[in-house]
Amino acid sequence: MPITVQTLRDAVARSDARMERLEDPLNAADALLGDGDTGSMLARVIEKMAATDLTATTDVGAAFNALARATMAATGSSLGTLLATALLTFAKSTKGRSEVPWSELSGLIEQAIEAMKLRGGASLGDKTILDALHRIAQSLTGIDDASAVALAAETGARAALEHFQPLPCKIGRARLFPEKSTGAHDPGMLALHLLLRCEEVSDRDG
Amino acid sequence: MKKLINQPTSYVEEMLAGLLLANPGLTLAGGSQRVIRRTSGARTGKVGIASGGGSGHLPLFTGYVGEGLLDTCSIGNVFEGPNVESCEDAIRLAHGGAGVLCLYGNYGGDRMNFDMACELLDGEGIATRTVLGTDDIASAAPAEAHKRRGVAGILYAYKAAGALAESGASLDEVARIAQKAVDATRTIGVALSPCRVPTASAPNFSIADDEIEMGMGIHGEPGIWRAKLKSADAIVDEMLERLLADRPIADGSRVSVLVNGLGATPLEELFILYRRTHHILTERGITIVQPLVGNYVTSMEMAGASLSLHLLDAELEKLLLAPASCPFWKV
Repeated sequence: MPITVQTLRDAVARSDARMERLEDPLNAADALLGDGDTGSMLARVIEKMAATDLTATTDVGAAFNALARATMAATGSSLGTLLATALLTFAKSTKGRSEVPWSELSGLIEQAIEAMKLRGGASLGDKTILDALHRIAQSLTGIDDASAVALAAETGARAALEHFQPLPCKIGRARLFPEKSTGAHDPGMLALHLLLRCEEVSDRDG
Repeated sequence: MKKLINQPTSYVEEMLAGLLLANPGLTLAGGSQRVIRRTSGARTGKVGIASGGGSGHLPLFTGYVGEGLLDTCSIGNVFEGPNVESCEDAIRLAHGGAGVLCLYGNYGGDRMNFDMACELLDGEGIATRTVLGTDDIASAAPAEAHKRRGVAGILYAYKAAGALAESGASLDEVARIAQKAVDATRTIGVALSPCRVPTASAPNFSIADDEIEMGMGIHGEPGIWRAKLKSADAIVDEMLERLLADRPIADGSRVSVLVNGLGATPLEELFILYRRTHHILTERGITIVQPLVGNYVTSMEMAGASLSLHLLDAELEKLLLAPASCPFWKV
């Protein structure tokens, strides 16, 4: 079963449900280095995505575009805008298609990473969500099965989280706190890991 | 940390509602409903000035919409950049046919969203220029001054650009004077206690009751040092020393001084800081023009202050003294 609009709807709905219990831990993780509201911001973004009506289209690109618009309407935070940038990149690459093979996902994520680099100025190795996406894209190479993709994505996200935990953040406000960012998780990277882990649990449970 | 609010999630909307009810010269506008514009609207043929930023800093940013200052301002959630749609709205609503200067603080989210908005509006034929406030000397070394954050000193760029735009100057000229005002301004802050984002579970930083942090940013970004509280005079002496080392000001120069409260510091203490600032500068033969003392750029209930020096020449002084009127600043 390839990626369809229904796949996106299901993923958003599950993420929305999971954010209820992830909001506080993500806020706490962000409080070490930032304002302590990354969880609340993401909860708001995903809630807005979940409220977006995708029933009228079978175009995966149009659905990604609508989710990007929802994200941009819900927040102006750096992380939110980077997420919207990634979604817009997905939208351009999948425009007009009702089905996208899972095997294309790795390449789509790499394209999104390039767009996010241009938008935000981060590089791989700076300890941001880009590093997690890069590791996930590597993990997904050559996989064309939804269940295997879910497992590989979670594995990639966890590997990135563990690899970067002992390293300092090199960009944004967190770069100003090297002593605090060393040993801590990047909140965006952590959010991705927790959401993907939830997806995995959900798939197994389901 | 106590707050006089209803729901954390309605903080911005209810704040804006009150601001508008108290100030009929301001109107909420745009599809995003997160833009404040002058009720009188964009003036045909005048360069528009759009700003934007996160909530939590009133009077910045929204409070400086008015004659001789900003035309529009996009508003983000507390300590978040304004979203792309609101930036598009702010630029579009500021456009009177002569283009729009986007003038805002150098923060990642704000920059990304205004950049995206400018790219989207390029197709609509709206010419834009961007100037970033970068006055916080504690946020990066002089060699990396372009990385510095914008804090209270952005007011001077608002004032210079706003005044020149009212005179009918071109977009390039308005952008030039805004950059000149940014280049002529330096700020440093000192924090005494933190604040809490309404939706966050904890204050944005912790600091002992008897400590201060020199150079801390308006979102709690780390400063230069943290140590025991000193006297007001000693704090001013160090702030001035650092400002003047970063941007030397010759004896006989003319400057404007902004002693800004971060939200919870009494005006009395701000005037104690100004008193020392005035003595030191005048002893050096520096003339102070239009001193500003008060809460111009805040961080909710954060305690502390910032000190800005704006070096004047004839052009900047004329623009600083030109008429302007917004809810929080009248000249």
